[in-house]
Parts: sequence; structure tokens; C-alpha cells
Amino acid sequence: MSGKRSGHVILGVNVLVLGYLPASWQSPLLEKDASVDPRYWERIGATAERGTLDAIFLADGPQAGDPAYDANPIRLEPTVDWGYVAAATDNIGVVATASTTFNDPFELAERLLSLDHLSGGRAGWNVVTTRGVNAARNFGLPDVPFRDDRYERAAEFVDLVRALWRSAADGSGEVTHHGEFFDIQGRLRVPPSLQQYPVLLQAGGSPKGRELAGRVAEGVFSAELTKTKAIEHYRLVKGLASKNGRSPDDVKILPGLLLSLGSTEEEARRRSDELHDAGPASYSVGWLSQAIGYDASKLELDEPFPEEVLAAPADPQTFLGSIGFRESIVAQIRKTNPTVREYLKQTRYTGSGHAGFVGTPEQLADHIEDWFHSGAIDGFNLQPDVLVDGLDVIVDEVVPILRKRGLYRHEYDTHTLRGHFAAASPTPAS
Amino acid sequence: MTKSRRYLGLALDGPQLLELTSDDALRDRWDGLPLAFTVLGSDRIDGSGPAATTLSVTSAAAHLAYRARHARVLIAASPHYDHPYNLARRVASLGHFTGGRSGLLLGVADAYAPAGERADRAWGNANLGPGASLTVTTAIAAGQAIRSLELGWPFETFIGDRETGILVQADQIVYSDIEGVYEIAGPLNLPGPPSGPSVIGVLSDDAVDHGLDLRIGADGDAVIIDVDDVDAGDADADADAGGADDEGVNSAGIILRHNAISLGALLNEVDGWLASGRVREITPGTDLRRALELAPVPARPSDLRPAFPAPAPHAAL
Repeated sequence: MSGKRSGHVILGVNVLVLGYLPASWQSPLLEKDASVDPRYWERIGATAERGTLDAIFLADGPQAGDPAYDANPIRLEPTVDWGYVAAATDNIGVVATASTTFNDPFELAERLLSLDHLSGGRAGWNVVTTRGVNAARNFGLPDVPFRDDRYERAAEFVDLVRALWRSAADGSGEVTHHGEFFDIQGRLRVPPSLQQYPVLLQAGGSPKGRELAGRVAEGVFSAELTKTKAIEHYRLVKGLASKNGRSPDDVKILPGLLLSLGSTEEEARRRSDELHDAGPASYSVGWLSQAIGYDASKLELDEPFPEEVLAAPADPQTFLGSIGFRESIVAQIRKTNPTVREYLKQTRYTGSGHAGFVGTPEQLADHIEDWFHSGAIDGFNLQPDVLVDGLDVIVDEVVPILRKRGLYRHEYDTHTLRGHFAAASPTPAS
Repeated sequence: MTKSRRYLGLALDGPQLLELTSDDALRDRWDGLPLAFTVLGSDRIDGSGPAATTLSVTSAAAHLAYRARHARVLIAASPHYDHPYNLARRVASLGHFTGGRSGLLLGVADAYAPAGERADRAWGNANLGPGASLTVTTAIAAGQAIRSLELGWPFETFIGDRETGILVQADQIVYSDIEGVYEIAGPLNLPGPPSGPSVIGVLSDDAVDHGLDLRIGADGDAVIIDVDDVDAGDADADADAGGADDEGVNSAGIILRHNAISLGALLNEVDGWLASGRVREITPGTDLRRALELAPVPARPSDLRPAFPAPAPHAAL
């Protein structure tokens, strides 16, 4: 990349309920039922907006995880949650995750456009597919379609939703769709929003997922553990956008970044360690098992990873993890060749699936600036360890540094989510 | 015999819902009314839709949960293009945000649903199975499934013990294992609201055995009447409004509907009814179950499978 990049980054916050670490609920600032308390969610929206952040994201899926030690599996439905928060705010974008696997496209199009209309054009849809038997059994099915089938359905689902939104926006009337998966003739009667219709985001790192991203997504919520891979994927998706006749600026790349911040690096590490130690031991091992498709509890903690563990998964059709995540993890392990224990401890600071950052606000600003100018990102989707205080640090300490460096807005000049994205820095020339 | 006065509800169509969510003054006026509840998007299921414009009712209810802190609402939905699992998540979520002032009214079919090859089946357009027939039996089955799912994770399971590191008594979360019209394992991925299970009603003119909280329809717990058909000051209003003589069982509630007029005009009609003294006021702000004096929901069966193991205090790493 030649020349210094101008313009500003995009900053989102992935609201992993109370924080990405299981022990986040133990913060003395939180009541035990904070995860379902409207006042908590209102506070999150208000704080993010105070920092002039671009958007808040909510992950989701139609199956239950064990909430015994961790609030992350406690999932208020995103369009309801963000509908409430949007009513309490004016400018922050609200991105809801919803699955194409277990929804009706007309109903979802109607609901998301309604959220967008009511929020004044601030809604986004993070398109995901759903995997796993537990989800399928909530819909009377024995299992979910194989990975490729899920993406075939997703592609048609997304195209149909977009057609319905466009017809509502331009008043063109009925949409007639006779496809492989859906057969629909109808008209959305929800009025268009101030940005016409929701912004589309995509989070899958598989080849089909990236294909969808290049074709239609306006934001990609990616997982990048190294800058080299991030730059490679950035160029790949931007290139796919161009191949599809779109401007590379039409799709913004936003990797996740797990955060523990402190006023010194030592304080940040101590905070991270205390939070990890207060959480269940199974968190790290369980996460790793799911991510690489291998039961990590069988591994010798003080030995390096065996080669068969690092090899490609047996069957991409049946591996339940994310291909993109696995790719990032394997690359990281091959780079540093740690023992299993060292890697698990390392992921405390460097990330588990998503990249991690443990340090000071100044160091985080350096990191963001470095990846931005290297052409690895258009922004980050920040994931604080504990949101109730961690988000305030981002707003009160990180954002001011970025502003001083000319990397972030001082106030909202745009008022829709698409407007926020369009106002950010253009794609640097390669 | 002195008749006990019926409560007053309101049914809003799509355009009125849009007005309610876009006009602050009208919304505040509506929020302060001593109505039993308002059916949001009633024209979806009561045979009077579709209108030219509308909103998703759960999106509207979520918006109103913040902007209107007193009104009670029933969201009008059907199994037509909403699966009970997905709908249960939204109903339970709304219960958290409204403090129990929200509930669900299920009808057979949604007037705003599109046509299509599989459109005559409940959940047909999602193309994830054969779907179910569009009948009141399916609507009731959906309501019972949603009830079961909400009961599957009681709010009281939050224990938040920092010493042991246990947040939720997860072994008290159970599978619903629903079979019949729907097969749903559960559990939901959120607890039921602290105010208790959401009020769930079914819209039907037939005296069906629903096992839920209320039936709205002819001779039901409440009846929808069109404002044109009856006047608040009419001495015979009771007789027209769903059975108000001195001997029969009356509907406990009257739900006013007047589609295709402005919301302001409709609220003027409501004011007339309230001023007539023929209906009783219910203080805004209380949750639906208390406001309607509904019976507590029976406890869930005791033999449902725990979804998770009993949590144990975990050792520090």
C-alpha cells in the first residue's frame, strides 16, 4: 500500500451480552440479571452513542447454550433488543444477526425493514447461517443442511429479502420470486427507511461466505489473528466486490478484536488474568475444541499440537465450526509453535478466534492505526471483556486519541448506518 | 343484577400503528389511557386487513416499550410465517422490556403474508418442512408451544453467586419436547420475564378449548367491535357489544376497532367510551396478567428433561 491513508476508521462494538469473557457477569457494577435488564441495554446504547461509534452488533442463533457460568448464552432476540435501544438513541447503528436457515424471508424482511424505519435508517442485518442439531430440533428437523446447502439457501434468501426491500423503497409493487428454495409473490407494506433499507453485513469466512460478501455485503465482520492474513482477506473481498461490478468502497471490512484495557500493560494483563481465572476452566478448552473440530481436552497440555490436529478437518461438509476461524487459529499456531497450555494462555492476550488485545488505550490506538494504514481493515468490531466499564474506556480514552490523530469523527455528521459507512475512509489503492 | 362493567381495549390496523409510532403527542396520549390493552396490528389476523401500509408488530412493540411506559399491548401474530420458536423468543424478550405489559394474540393467518406455492401452510414459505394447516388448531398449538418454551427457563434460575462462579441454576432449565402439530425440543435461549409467563390469547369466534389465557371472539373473554356498529352512548350498546344482558355470561372486555380512520379520531372515540361510564378503567402501568385479573399459569410438568447439568463451583485455574 502506498501513501498514507486519509479519512477515518469505522468502530463497532460487538455486544457479547455482558462481555466476551464468561466472568464478565461478576463485575460489581452488574446485577445478576443484567443480561435481561432493559436499563443495562439502554446504557450500552447510550454509552456507544456518546462515543460517536458507528454501530453496535448483536450475535444470535436459535439454540440454547449452557448459561451456568457465563451470560453469553443468554440471548434476548436482537430485533426486539435493538428496537428498544434504537428508541433510546438517535445516531448509533444497530446491527442484528439473523439466520437465513431458520427464518421465513418475507417475515424477516418485514421485521428488519420495520426496525430500520423505526430507527430512522440505522439498522443492519448480519447474515448468518445456522449449524448444529440443537438448532434443527427447535424447528422439527433432525439436522441442518450441509454447509454448501446452507449457503445456497442463504444466497437466495438474501436476494429475495433485498428484492422485497427495494420494492418497498421504490414502490415498484409486487415481487414475484420462483426459486430453488422459495416461491413467493407479494409486496412488503412497510415504508422505506431514511436509508431506504437495512445495511447488509456478513460474517462467514468460508469461500461461499466470502462469495456472498463480495456480491452483496456492505460490511464484513471477519476474524483475523494476524495482519498478514487480514491484508490478504481484505484484498480478496474487495477484489470480489469489484468482480461483481461494485466499488470496493461499497464493502467495509471489520475484523473483531477482543479487548482487555488498562492504564498500563501490566494492569491490563492482570485484569485479563483475573477475569480468566474467575471463569470456568473449561472455557478455553471448550472454545478451542469447538473451533478446531477436535476435542482439546484429550491433548497433552505441555506438548505442541499434534500434526493431525492442525491438518484440514476431515469433512468440510460436517465440521461444525467456522472455516474462517479455524484457518486463523491454525495459522497462528504454526507461526509460534506453542504447547497447548501456552497457546491457551496466549489466547487470553492475543485472541480466541478473533484477535485479542491486552494493553493500554494508547497501544490500542496504535494497533488500530497500524492495521488501518497497512490496508488490513476499514475498522474494527471491538469486543470488550466486560462492557459495563470497558465500553466507557473505549469511549472516554480510546476515541479521543483516535480523534487527535485524525482517525475518527468528533461528532455525528451522518445519521444513518449506511451514511456512517460511506463517510469512512475509502479503500486504499493497492 | 348489576352488570359489572367491561374493560375497554383497542385494536389498531397497520396505518394506525404507523401513526402511533411516529407521532409523539398521539403516542403519549394513548400511553396514558386506562385501557386494558391494545392489539397491535389487529388487521393481520381479524379479517380486516391488509391495509396499504403496516409495520412488523414485534418491531413496533419493541419501539413502544421504550417510548410508552404504561400502555399494555397484545401483538397480533399467526403461525402463518412465524414459527413458534422464533415467536417465543420475541414474545419473551418483549416481556423483559415491557415489564410484563406485553402479550400475544394468535390468529389463524396473516393478511399481509405473500402468496406462493406453499403459502397456504403455516411456516410453508420458509420451506423447512411440510408446514401445518392454517387452522385455529395450529394457532392454539403455536400458543401452547410458546407457553411451554417460556416456562422452560424460569427467571428465578438467576442466582449470581460470585463465590462459586455460578450465574444460573442451569439444571432448572428444561427441554420442552413438544410434539404434535409442532416438534420443538427447546429450550429457549433466554429466561422468561420476571413478571411471569406472557399473556397469550387466541382469536376465534368458536368456543375452542385453548388452554391459554383468553379467547377473543364471539362470546369469548373479549370481543372486537367496530366503532361504526355501536355507539358508547347507545342504551342498547351492551346488547350489541357481545352479549350484555342481565342473565348471560358476558364478554369481560370490549375491543374497539375502527380501521381506516386516523389514530387521533380513534382515540376520540375511546375518550367517548371512557366518559360514558359504561366501561371500567384499568390503571395504566401494571402488567397484563394483573390488569386482566387472569389466573396464574399452571406450573410446568415436573418430568421435563433438564437441558444442562447441575452447575458446580469451579476451581480457580
